[in-house]
Amino acid sequence: MNESLLFYATFILYIISAFYYFTFLFSKRENLARIGFSFAFVGLFIHTIALVWRTFESGHAPFTNMYESLSFFAWSSILAYIIIEFKYKIRKAGPYFMLIVIALMALASSPLMPKEATPLVPALQSYWLWLHVSVTLLGEAFFAIAFITSIMYLTADSREKKGGAAKSKLSAEKLDSVSYRCIAVGFPLFTLGGLVFGMVWAFKAWGRYWSWDPKETWSLITWFVFALYLHTRIVMGWKGRRSAYVAIIGFLAALFTYFGVNYILSGLHSYA
Amino acid sequence: MKSLLKLFSSVKLAIVLLIIITSASFVGTLIPQQRSPSEYVAQFGQLGNLLNRFQLTNLYQSSWFISLLFLFVLNILICTLTRFPAKFRKAFQPKLIKDKKNILVLKIKDSLGKNWDLAKTKKELKKELSSRHYRLKEEVEENKAFLSARKRTLGLFGADVVHLGLLIILAGGIISGLGGFRKNLTFSEGNVLDIPNAEFKLRLDKFETEYYPDGNVRDWKSTLTVIENEKPILSKIIEVNHPLSYKGFVFYQSSYGWNWANTSVEIWVKKRKDPSFLRKIEMNLGARVKLEGENIHISAIHFIPDFIINERSEATSRSLQPNNPAAFIEGWEGDEKVISGWIFAKFPDFARIHSEKETDLSFELKSFKAGQFSVIEAAKDPGANIIWVGCTFLMIGLALAFYWPSREIKIILEEIQGKTGVIAGGIASKNREALQAEFDKIMSSLRRSK
Repeated sequence: MNESLLFYATFILYIISAFYYFTFLFSKRENLARIGFSFAFVGLFIHTIALVWRTFESGHAPFTNMYESLSFFAWSSILAYIIIEFKYKIRKAGPYFMLIVIALMALASSPLMPKEATPLVPALQSYWLWLHVSVTLLGEAFFAIAFITSIMYLTADSREKKGGAAKSKLSAEKLDSVSYRCIAVGFPLFTLGGLVFGMVWAFKAWGRYWSWDPKETWSLITWFVFALYLHTRIVMGWKGRRSAYVAIIGFLAALFTYFGVNYILSGLHSYA
Repeated sequence: MKSLLKLFSSVKLAIVLLIIITSASFVGTLIPQQRSPSEYVAQFGQLGNLLNRFQLTNLYQSSWFISLLFLFVLNILICTLTRFPAKFRKAFQPKLIKDKKNILVLKIKDSLGKNWDLAKTKKELKKELSSRHYRLKEEVEENKAFLSARKRTLGLFGADVVHLGLLIILAGGIISGLGGFRKNLTFSEGNVLDIPNAEFKLRLDKFETEYYPDGNVRDWKSTLTVIENEKPILSKIIEVNHPLSYKGFVFYQSSYGWNWANTSVEIWVKKRKDPSFLRKIEMNLGARVKLEGENIHISAIHFIPDFIINERSEATSRSLQPNNPAAFIEGWEGDEKVISGWIFAKFPDFARIHSEKETDLSFELKSFKAGQFSVIEAAKDPGANIIWVGCTFLMIGLALAFYWPSREIKIILEEIQGKTGVIAGGIASKNREALQAEFDKIMSSLRRSK
C-alpha cells in the first residue's frame, strides 16, 4: 500500500459520493443524499490518511507542488462542505459541490502533474509553508461553497420569480444566506492565511512583505472583491442576485490567483 | 468643504474607489512591470509610448495609483470617524424603547403574560438575563418598566477595528516606501563590507551551497560576522528564510554566483593514435603552460559557464550558472598559433578545434574551479513592524465583526391588575439565528418559571 493508492481510493469514494448525490437530486429520496454524504465522509478520512502518509514519506508539508496542492485543496473543500452541510443542511448543493471536488482530484491525478515528492527548494523550507498554504486553501474552500450556492441561488431565484414556490427546503433566500455565511468564514481565513501569513513569510524569505508580485496582486484583487461583497451587502443592503454575482466573481478571482497566475503570469511565487 | 466631507463619508465612494483600485491592480498584472522604457517601445511600438506616458509600466508606484490609495485612505478614515459618535452612543448609552410598536417591528420578538407583579417579573427576567452575561439598563415609570439588555458590545466595533488595521498597514507601507532602504552586497569569502547608513561592517566568513543527494540545491548558507569598532560583535549562519537582524537592519541570503573571470581549468590532453599518452594541465585563465614532451604551449583564453551561440554568431553565456561550461584554448609553437577552439566539459566529443598544422592532439575540459560569491541583501524597513501591528488589528477586527456579534434585547414590562405583560425584541449585529435561539430560551424559561 502506498500514498497514491490511498489517493485513488479517495478519488473513487468521492465519485461514488457524487453518484449518490446526483441520484438523490433526480429521485428526491433523502436517504440517497445521506449515503452520498457518508461516502464523502469516508473519503475525507482516507484522504486524511493519504495526506499524513505523504507528509511522512516526503518529510515536508503535503502541498509543495501542484499535485499535492490540488489534492489538499480537494481535502479542504470536502472538510468545509461537511462543516457547512452539518450546520445548514444544504444537501441539494452536494452534487454540484462534489463536481468541483472531482474536478480538483481529476486535475491532480492528470499525467501533466508530476506526482513524485521532490525535496524542498530553499525558499519553501519554513514552517510558514504550513500556516500560509493550509489556512489560505481552507478559506478558498469556503469561497468554493459560496460559489456553488450563489449559482444555485440564481437558478432558484429565477424559478421562484416565475411563480414556482420554493419546492424544496433549500429556498433561494436560504441559499443567499448560506453564501454569506460561507464568505463570513472564508474571508477571515483567507485574510489571515493568504495576506497576513503571506506577508510575514515574504518578509522572512524575500526581505519584503509586499512586492506587487502577480500572485500577491491577485490575492489582493480576490480580497477586494469579497470586501466589496461584504460592504455592498452589510452597508448598502445588497442581497440576492447582485450579491450572488459578486460572490461568483470572487471565487473566480480566487481560482485565478490559485491556478492562472502560475500558468499565465510569471513571478516570484512560482511554486504552486 | 461640507459637500466634500459628505462625499468622503459615503460608502458609495468607497465602493467606487475599491472597484477602480481593483481594476488598476488587475491591469498591472497584464502589463509587465518595471522594465526600461525602451523595452516597452520595442515590444508594443506606439502603445509602448502610451504605457510609459501613463506610468502603466510602473503602475503600483505611479503617482496616480498612490493618489487613488490616498483617496481611499481618506475615505475610510472619514467614513469611520463620521459614523463613530452615533455608534459609540448606541454601544454605551443605549436608548430604552418605550413604545411597544418599536419592539413589534423587530424581526426577533415575543410577548407573554405572568401572574406576577411588575417587581417580581422584572427580578426573574433580570436574573435570567444576567446569568447569560447580559448587562442591563432600566427605567421604571408607574406600572411600567423598560429594559435594555446587551452583551458583546465590542462586536459593534469590529469593522472599525478592521479599518483602523488597514490604515495602520497603509501607514506602514508609506513609511517603508519613504524610509526603507535596501541594497545588494556582493561578498567573496573573507570580504568585509561597509553597510551604507550604518555604523558597522559585515564580514562573510564562509559561503557554502548544500545539495540534496539528487543534486538539487538544499540551501545556501553564509556565515556572517558583524564588526563594530573593528571588533567582531556576533556571528550567524544565515540561509533562505533565516535572515540576520541587527540594529534595525535585516540581512538576507539573496543570491550567489561564481567569479568566472578568475576561473582555473583542468585540461586533459590526449593523442588519438597513442592511447597511453595523457597530460593533465591545471592553469588559470590567460596563463601559458608547456605541454610536457611536446614542442607546444597551451593556454586557456576564455571560460564560459553556460555556452551558447547568439544570433550574431558570437559565443556567449546564457546564464551565470555552469550549465554548459566551455573553455577557449590556444596552442602555440613559438610565436605561431597552431591550434585554437572551444572545448566543452559536458560534451567532450563536440570540441571545435581549428589547427593550422596537422596534429594528433585532442583536448578535454575535465574540471574547472571558480571562487563563489554570496549576495546578501541589506534591508532596513522601518514600516515592517507597523505592518504587523496593523495586521493584528485587522484580524482582531475581523474576529469581532464576524464571531462576536453584539446582541441586544429590548423589553417593555407593564403591570395591569396584578398581572404583568412582557413584550421583548432582539437585535443582533450579525448571526440573527443565534440570538433568536437564545431569545427563545430566555422567553420560554420565563414562561415556565413559577
